[in-house]
Amino acid sequence: MLGSLPVRPRLFLIAAVVLGATSRPAYAQCTSNASSCVTCHETQGLRPVLQSVLPWHVDHGFGDLCASCHAGDPASATKELAHRGLRHPLVDPSVSCVGCHTDDATARAQRYRAALASATPPPAPPAPPPRPPQAAASPGADRALAALAALLTLALYVVIRRELPGEARSWTSRLRARAWSPYAAGALLGLVVAFSEVVCGRPLAASGAFDKLAAYPGRWLFPSSQYYGHVMQPGITWQVWLVVGVLAGSFASSRLSGEARWRWLPDTQWRSRFGDGRRARLALAFLGGVLVQVGAGIAGGCTSGLAISGGAALAPGAFLFMAGMFAGGIPTAWLWYRGRGDA
Amino acid sequence: MMETAKALALGFLFGWSLNKAGLTHYARIVNVYRLRDMTVMRFMLTALVVGAFAIQAGVDLGFASGAPVPPTSMLANVVGGAVFGVGMATAGLCPGTIVAEAGEGRLDAWVAGLSGLVVGAIAFGLMQPVIMPSLARVGALGRVTVASLSGATPWLVLLVFGQLVALTLVLIARVGERPARPERSPNAGPPSLRY
Repeated sequence: MLGSLPVRPRLFLIAAVVLGATSRPAYAQCTSNASSCVTCHETQGLRPVLQSVLPWHVDHGFGDLCASCHAGDPASATKELAHRGLRHPLVDPSVSCVGCHTDDATARAQRYRAALASATPPPAPPAPPPRPPQAAASPGADRALAALAALLTLALYVVIRRELPGEARSWTSRLRARAWSPYAAGALLGLVVAFSEVVCGRPLAASGAFDKLAAYPGRWLFPSSQYYGHVMQPGITWQVWLVVGVLAGSFASSRLSGEARWRWLPDTQWRSRFGDGRRARLALAFLGGVLVQVGAGIAGGCTSGLAISGGAALAPGAFLFMAGMFAGGIPTAWLWYRGRGDA
Repeated sequence: MMETAKALALGFLFGWSLNKAGLTHYARIVNVYRLRDMTVMRFMLTALVVGAFAIQAGVDLGFASGAPVPPTSMLANVVGGAVFGVGMATAGLCPGTIVAEAGEGRLDAWVAGLSGLVVGAIAFGLMQPVIMPSLARVGALGRVTVASLSGATPWLVLLVFGQLVALTLVLIARVGERPARPERSPNAGPPSLRY
């Protein structure tokens, strides 16, 4: 298992032993707000620098600035990609530091050069523990068994399908159905999440796309913002294309079921509570949109990117997020509907 | 190019499943928080369990060396979740379902929902340097999973997780849902799927 790691195995081997020997290397996540530098070096603690005795990291620790001096690619998921084009900032301060210190980059770097000369070399990292003995892995046998399991499941389904509820319907009528069992739709989403994470190496996330898209007007409106200067770069990313796909998928599904049509108000329950006016719906939909995006930003993802994708990876943060959702949502729904129990 | 095609295809199935599960309906989402209609929980929890088993299988079969794990920062996760829940219960939508609603032809999602997301993203961008450095530090565990944190065997964690979810789903069906409407006949079964 550990022998097949895609990145230099030693650091990960140490981390894996610390974390209990069962962990696998984690990729940076696209919806995360921190750069992958901070995520791996600091949050994951693979090679923390902010507590260093050397002055430069402490001096620049007020922001997520790693890439401003060191270059590399702070948006990349893996170490190999993120470290591509990495530079030693003091080799040429006129390149590394001049982005912020336009006038006196070289003079400022002189202080750090002096500190570097007097610094003692850091202690050598501890030798990695011997690799635990392991039976020769045989992914071929595993894959054959998995394929057999899938085939048997399919055979089982074919044999018992007539006894399942609602099985009389044809495949075309199922595509045209207005609603599926939530278990069936959920199973489809689960497979989509797994494909996205395993094959594409990315979470199935919606809110991250809007952070990327909003960075176009955001950077223009707030050019001096630390966030848009150093943390969030605009871009038509993979996540943005995913969201375009969501639009198309929902359109296709509702078009086939005859549900797709232009309308301003929800079909049920809204009118009996808020009336027929469009203005109330637009106001609350806007307010809700702002709040969910801010909440997703704080939490590090939304219902799809954190709760479902992160939950399927069994990250504790996903379940804390869901607990928070109910803690905020139940009192809010109660406030909107108090005294209107039947609406 | 290939990656873009995969993103579009996965997004298509994502939007399809959101629509077929009925998550493009205001009432369906708000009524989760009124404890009246747990369809959304059935959908989400099923996706979680199927996804969790499929991811572990995919990793163990060698299709990837690991799955992306979001970082856990306990305070930020809970506080962000609470703000998110307030918005979700106010408007009956979340970032993914706003897009799915737009695909269904809902003009409130096109006009107000999408612009709300963009304004919210910029608002968070302005807040981020002020609030996140201190908020994200509380209970920051990094990119951990239940298995990596406890040192347990991943498949055993999955077994327990699957059982917990199955139990939750059964209990939701038994006691979790109050009737959606009082005038509904008592033998009409679970809340109506007609929205």
